Amino acid sequence: MQQIIKAVDVYKSYHKEPVLKGLNLTVNKGQIVGLLGPNGAGKTTTVRLLNGVIGPDKGQLEVFGLTPEKSGDKIRSLCGVLTESAGLYPHLSGEQNLAFFGELYGVTKKEVRYDLLKDFGLLEHKDKKVGSYSTGMKKRLGIAKALLPSPELLFLDEPTTGLDPEGARDLLSYIEKLNKEKGVTILICTHILKQVEELCHRFLFLDSGRIIEEGTLEEIEAKYLKEFLVRVETDVSVSNISSSFQLITHTPGKLTFKLSNKSDIPILLRHLLEKGSVYSSEILGRDLETMYFKIREAGR
Amino acid sequence: MNIRAIKAIAKKDLSSVTSNVQIFLPMIIVPLIFCVIFPATLILATRFTDLNQATNMEPILKILESLPEESTLAKDLASFTELNQKLIYLFLNYFFAPMFLLIPIMGASLVAANSFAGEKERRTLESLLFAPVDIFSLFFGKALAAFLLAIGLAIGGFILYGLTINILGYPLFNRAIFPQSNWLVLLIWVVPSFSILAILFNVAVSAKVKGFQEANQMSVFVVLPIVFLLISQILGAFIIDTKFLWLLGGGGLFISALALWRMVGYFDRNRLFESQIF
Repeated sequence: MQQIIKAVDVYKSYHKEPVLKGLNLTVNKGQIVGLLGPNGAGKTTTVRLLNGVIGPDKGQLEVFGLTPEKSGDKIRSLCGVLTESAGLYPHLSGEQNLAFFGELYGVTKKEVRYDLLKDFGLLEHKDKKVGSYSTGMKKRLGIAKALLPSPELLFLDEPTTGLDPEGARDLLSYIEKLNKEKGVTILICTHILKQVEELCHRFLFLDSGRIIEEGTLEEIEAKYLKEFLVRVETDVSVSNISSSFQLITHTPGKLTFKLSNKSDIPILLRHLLEKGSVYSSEILGRDLETMYFKIREAGR
Repeated sequence: MNIRAIKAIAKKDLSSVTSNVQIFLPMIIVPLIFCVIFPATLILATRFTDLNQATNMEPILKILESLPEESTLAKDLASFTELNQKLIYLFLNYFFAPMFLLIPIMGASLVAANSFAGEKERRTLESLLFAPVDIFSLFFGKALAAFLLAIGLAIGGFILYGLTINILGYPLFNRAIFPQSNWLVLLIWVVPSFSILAILFNVAVSAKVKGFQEANQMSVFVVLPIVFLLISQILGAFIIDTKFLWLLGGGGLFISALALWRMVGYFDRNRLFESQIF
């Protein structure tokens, strides 16, 4: 697969405060990659470095095979960026903001602006000043702005902060559609893990200026999920269950077991079915958030 | 150079002038005071007072006497019979010239301070620097907005000033006494030169300070030399004639060129970003 972003051993500090300490990462073409980490981990700095608006102290960066420091304008013309503060002009209307940034990106067609305003539900607010927009509307306009140049690579820094659950869901499904239909490569920086769990193809865990883990959810799960907590909805009574299965908790109708292997799950279920009925079963603690804490714990 | 981006940035910055009372108000009020209220008060007060009876006229009379006989001003003044006429002529065509210069300088400073420091304050500078526009075009677009506004204000002020003087002064002179050749040099040479100087000064200040207010306060330093000019002239140290104005404008351009040469370092995206955003 073609690598669109590559960072090798990148260091960066501000005012002598180190932010990135040996960052290594790659992003392949056509992927949605989540850059996850706590505040201050260096997510925003990474985006700025990749766009060439700041330079690294040490290390190599490549975007589309170009060096951001030397070919910044070329890279920036191929990228869309949503910064954390959307960076819009409050005294201009929604459409005027898009028109202004369109001029900067060389996208002057009115239809492009109108299509984006329509896509983000802002067409009827296009003549209102952005200063009077709600946080969610500003965010949506910020994303519309990022999409103006029909970017091949999209950077989204905390795209869902300030959006209500409905707005966040709409945005995420739009991002997914963009990736599927147009093959746009997307790097999402966020700490709201739940929202991107199903969206991203790969995850990069950034902590204290370094990537401490990366992979697909399955890969990370295989590495960090050492035991399986399985909750089963069943009518089998506790006394009927073989003592070879370690029962952790039980409430009427719901039993939780601890298994050391994924392959023990069907054995357990078969055993329960012999004794009675099973209505549902699920593995607990395999979500991104749990992984995130396990990874950070392991990193310490 | 990205002409399309320069135009867009200049247009956007000009449009932000009218939406900000802090900027818009002084741009209306200052020219009105300097170009209408001051000259009108002077002319009306002089028209209805007998200056031969007034005291404390010696310093000004001394200036009039000390003028070299072959100078344009001395010849012009000799053509008037009344002291009132001489004084109005001297004040409006000469003493007020430095004050008039304050109008474009104020305009250029306000717009430049707002466009650089204000951009940082509103947190829009970041998204601007993320755009594929070279840093020189970005600066040039912003400077162009301030320059166009300064020139616009100067031309508007010039017209207002001329109308006020010639209409109210007509009963006294029976002809138009404004503009003299020194004002044309002022308008086409000194005003652009000093506007550029004020813009560069504000750009330099904006890169160092946190917000618009602070940047704006610093621009007082550009105004001070003008005030000095005004006072020295009234005290009779020199007279702002055409030759002096050509030199003054040239001096302004020379300092601007030096400043620009020193400021080349600001035209660096990474440095600007780190100094402004963090």
